Amino acid sequence: MKVDVQSLDTFNQLAHEGAEAATRSLTQMTGIEATVDVTRISLLDREDVGEELRGTAFAGVQFGFEGALAGETVLVFEEKRVGDIVEALMPGGCADESMAQSGVEEIGNIMMSGFIDGWAEHLNATIDHTPPTYIEREGAAVVPDGPETGARDQVFVFRSEIEWAGEDVNFYIYMLPGYGSMAELLAEHVDTAGDAIPIEKLAVFNQMTREGAAKAAENVQMMSGIETEAEVAQLSFVPIEDVPRQFGEDTYVGTVVEFTGTPSGFLLVLFDEASAVTVAEALLPVEPDSDGLTEQHESAVTELGNIMTSGFVDGWANVLQQSVDHTPPRLVHDMGQAIIDPLAAQLGRHQRHAFIIDARMQTDEVDFESEIHALPNEQELRAALDELVVDRADQLEADAEQIF
Amino acid sequence: MKVYDGSQSDDGPEAEPERVKVGIAEYEVTADDAELTTSGLGSCVGVALYDTETGAAGLVHVMLPVAEEMDEGKAAKFADSGTQLLIDELHAIGANPRTVQAKIAGGSDMLDFSEGGSGIGDRNVEQVRATLAENDIPIVDEDVGGDHGRSLRLEAASGDLVVKSANREKRTL
Repeated sequence: MKVDVQSLDTFNQLAHEGAEAATRSLTQMTGIEATVDVTRISLLDREDVGEELRGTAFAGVQFGFEGALAGETVLVFEEKRVGDIVEALMPGGCADESMAQSGVEEIGNIMMSGFIDGWAEHLNATIDHTPPTYIEREGAAVVPDGPETGARDQVFVFRSEIEWAGEDVNFYIYMLPGYGSMAELLAEHVDTAGDAIPIEKLAVFNQMTREGAAKAAENVQMMSGIETEAEVAQLSFVPIEDVPRQFGEDTYVGTVVEFTGTPSGFLLVLFDEASAVTVAEALLPVEPDSDGLTEQHESAVTELGNIMTSGFVDGWANVLQQSVDHTPPRLVHDMGQAIIDPLAAQLGRHQRHAFIIDARMQTDEVDFESEIHALPNEQELRAALDELVVDRADQLEADAEQIF
Repeated sequence: MKVYDGSQSDDGPEAEPERVKVGIAEYEVTADDAELTTSGLGSCVGVALYDTETGAAGLVHVMLPVAEEMDEGKAAKFADSGTQLLIDELHAIGANPRTVQAKIAGGSDMLDFSEGGSGIGDRNVEQVRATLAENDIPIVDEDVGGDHGRSLRLEAASGDLVVKSANREKRTL
């Protein structure tokens, strides 16, 4: 089964419109002015779904759906804001816990009916959904199990983030369709046969990313002694103008390179400020002169970014059997969204959509978290995947040591 | 796209102004003293228009210089069509073309890997200037270029454009 940019775009848009319909229902019912911030379709390992929710308690509702598309979906928000949301629906309602719960159920039911109905209408098919189940869970556990899969099986996930205007409250919609039914639907919507990519190859790309990130993590450990693990590898697809939206206003420190070859593109290694200080100090032979992020820290981060980039890119090059070169790293220290914006703009001169490749690594020992993001030229990525013999993926599993 | 014309607001005079977020390749206009915000401008440019007579205001967040080579309908993504769209929409909610003025921010040249010629940030700024000039709209203040990102807040009550950056002092244009 194959997938092309057109079919991915269609479904991304569909999920976005579904989330907008859900948001309109919310506004009508509660007067809460909210907007859909970003929607993306991603392919990733089942065990990595919802990783970005780590450390926060959520409440919301869960549904199953079946028909033209089958799977599970949730609408959740931070548990500590349940009171505000229920209060907006029925003033005084949050005093009573069971009332609060039924308020959440009602909001969830109305929003998600809009979401599912939007899909059914577009697909011109019937999608039934089960009654809502109220859930309260921690972090990634809030994401539904989805169709039965192994932890390392690849799943498609639609994720929308909805922002309550002027309040620090976000609603998240996760939708996990069955891989089979989703792949079939995507394949049905392919309209440019020449550009289509077999879906399995997208999954191979995630495997490459995971291995590349593992190599980068090894390099971090070798240089800094900080033992870290590659946690997430995912491939997402969004309109080009939505690329910067995936990053917030939080400040990051890190490096950016342009890589050339097939594919060409940009690669970012980013640390939050605290992690940058931690990892730089692990590299510095002597205590820095002053607190905070000094020039010494920045030069250590540049060095680390360089070696992580090399590890990552070498991993790719080996699997693709293409040489991938990269420019020297440029140090960045700015708002995440502002860092990615010029890169998206440079790609945006030639393409309307982008694949974003994300990997994340972290460690429990010290305050350390690092992200690697690649933004490949979309046409060249397609060409590279076209060249890729899927057999090499098996070789990768069997002989990863040798390849990377 | 929503137009905030005040008809939906039941807030009293002391209520905080409504805050409306403008995403990349989006725009908003207000005749209702709302605060229009946009974040994370790198090479993107934020164009803020304010009518000194009626108080109507608008903000667009453009990403690329010219629309002509891209086959698509998202006008607010481009400096030329996005700026023009904002001007037209501001007129549509009653702004007086003769009393509208502009403030612009963004267009940084950070992380521009293009070889030779001017980068996307510069070209975005130049195109915004050209489109504003064609419409006889003066730029009364600006914070453009450099190698850092910016977030903007347009306070429609006053026409002030507040520019925030990660590593420097806040500026008000």
